[in-house]
Amino acid sequence: MGKTIRKNLFALNLFLAFAVVVCITPQAFAGGKVYKMGLSLAITGPTSDAGNPYSKGVEDYFNYVNDTKLLGDDKIECMIRDDQYQTAVTKRNFEDFLDQGIVFYLNYSTGSTLGLKRDFEEVQIPVLPASFHAGNVEDSHYIFLPIASYSEQVVSLSEYVVNNHKGDKPKVAMFIHPSAFGRGPVGDVEKSIAAGLNMEIVEVVEHGKDLDNTAMLQRLMSKNVQYVICQTIQSPVATMIKDAARLGISANAFGESGKITFLGAHYTGGNDLIDLAGDASENFFWITSYTITSEPGPGTDFQLSLAKKYGRDDKAANSHNYANGIMVAQVATEVVRRAKEKGLDISKKTLHDELNAMNGDNAYQPPTTVGPVTYSSTDRAGVDSLQIYAVKEGVFRKVGEPITSQYMKKIK
Amino acid sequence: MKIIRFFLTKCSGDRYIAMSYFFQIVISGVVVGSIYALAALGLVLVYKSSRVANFAHGQIIAAGAFITYALTVWASIPVYISFVLSMLITFCLAWSVERIFLRRLIGEPIISVIMVTIGLASILDGLIYLTPFGTENFSFPSFFPQEPIMVGGVSISWTQLVGVIITFILIGGFSWFFKKSTVGISMRAVSDDQFASMSVGISVPGVFGLAWATAGLSAAAAGCIIGNITGLNFDTLHSFGIVVFPVVILGGLDSILGAVVAGIIMGLIQQFAGGYIDGNWGLNGTGEVLPYIILLIILLIKPHGLFGIHEIERV
Repeated sequence: MGKTIRKNLFALNLFLAFAVVVCITPQAFAGGKVYKMGLSLAITGPTSDAGNPYSKGVEDYFNYVNDTKLLGDDKIECMIRDDQYQTAVTKRNFEDFLDQGIVFYLNYSTGSTLGLKRDFEEVQIPVLPASFHAGNVEDSHYIFLPIASYSEQVVSLSEYVVNNHKGDKPKVAMFIHPSAFGRGPVGDVEKSIAAGLNMEIVEVVEHGKDLDNTAMLQRLMSKNVQYVICQTIQSPVATMIKDAARLGISANAFGESGKITFLGAHYTGGNDLIDLAGDASENFFWITSYTITSEPGPGTDFQLSLAKKYGRDDKAANSHNYANGIMVAQVATEVVRRAKEKGLDISKKTLHDELNAMNGDNAYQPPTTVGPVTYSSTDRAGVDSLQIYAVKEGVFRKVGEPITSQYMKKIK
Repeated sequence: MKIIRFFLTKCSGDRYIAMSYFFQIVISGVVVGSIYALAALGLVLVYKSSRVANFAHGQIIAAGAFITYALTVWASIPVYISFVLSMLITFCLAWSVERIFLRRLIGEPIISVIMVTIGLASILDGLIYLTPFGTENFSFPSFFPQEPIMVGGVSISWTQLVGVIITFILIGGFSWFFKKSTVGISMRAVSDDQFASMSVGISVPGVFGLAWATAGLSAAAAGCIIGNITGLNFDTLHSFGIVVFPVVILGGLDSILGAVVAGIIMGLIQQFAGGYIDGNWGLNGTGEVLPYIILLIILLIKPHGLFGIHEIERV
């Protein structure tokens, strides 16, 4: 009797041990590893019009990587959490991700990237934020901008103005967000002017929650301003260009005499601007490093097919922020793939090393950008090429070929 | 407009430009101020009857704009009908909010009620984030002529003009309602003394419900007008619930006339600062700061606002 009980207990223990092994380590049987990553961003709250499609891009691309076995049997598990644009919540999310063993982190806002910079240094984790603020990479070894910084975007727009303006020195006003995000590029434009860029900044306007920009626009007209370069988000730009259209001072073509041509950096444009401003967005010039679906190509075909595969609506599918999310996920996947290919363990350090080695022949060309991603220990802005688009008949159209800033090299 | 035309015909050359610039700023100030007043009206209505500052007002403004858009674009209802329907829907919505969340707080400390409105703002935020309006941008289809109305170099858009007209119709209507109608007088009585009002047979809960409902109605109107100007972005729209707080404080928390006067003062200060001060002498952003400085100065002289009631409590 006693022997039978012992036998039964032994069998039960064996079964339990087997069950534990099967439940806890399915990957061991599948032969694959799971690499954990984290993304904290504003899926709701301020700027969620950008954050929401961005999160969908990240989520869909990592699902695509796992579903199509881009990393063989290995998988990427990216935890995505809403921080409602609150740095305190971002920090909490990040710390929780660390506890769960992430090897790569995707951040979002300028404020939280600057706020967590020391934390990133301390834990030595590679970070790709959605913010392109040049200050993010200062005194940091672990933050990598996906594309050219806001400074580079705004200086490139300034160079475009100078190169295409007819007549005397162009008079420019800057319309900026009242924060580090908005103010950052102003200094670099001023340095470019000091370095020989032939234009005059007549005024720098920090906007508020304006219902009517008539006074400001008339003031700019009285000072013969010909171009307004915007570094902010879409909503205040939409209100301003609607007012300009009402006052009849919007240029119908670039540089039209006696009128104002409006231009803007990455987060001022895209379909969201057209949605907000309607017809007033016509002839708005916008710069970014992303391909957009109104100018179809292999990159946008991939973007649309991905959105279709994972059941996204048209608005998300055609958003440049969705492309932005796909792109950062692509870069994160690519460094894992490269490290794996070299037989390295996937860790924060190896992924950081792979990012730093992403240059020259090792540059990475994601389909969703207009140029290759290049990083090194001294260059942590990914895509240097920028494409200017302008709204024509209700959609953004390419203006010329991709450009890179000449003056940013001079003032660095 | 006749005054503007008269003045402008007396001017010529640079003086004409300077005068049209001046009048343009005046018109813009009045327009912006009127819209502030309309957005502030809901706050005043709730405060006037229940002494509560409603921190969920911005969310109701946004909801009104989104309901109008959904009815117009998704249900293909003509915009004018959608506008009226959205006011009726927010009327019912705000009444329901009061009935469900706030009715049971009658008699409780005011701070408790205010905290509930803050919680309510979070709940409404969450509900709106469940819809596409929470994270996507939209704009109303054009239903007014695109060409602005021009008078001697001064322009005003149809949206702005209609906004001002609606503001004054609603404010005129509410002023009459509070002064002349039995229900309006009951609301003022409840505001003065809930227990005394109950003792003469006024239904205090009914008055509170009506105050919230009418505030919802005016918020929808404000939301539609602001949404038409800025585009439909949730962050932008609900922030106006807070942006107009200085207007309400300056006018006197319980004064409809005060909201109008303070709104226009704020609008004019912003526009004049933007037109004449910003960009000169190294100054910038004064249009954002100056209204608050003037608000502080006026409150030092008149602590209850321009038209607020100075209550004397005898014990």
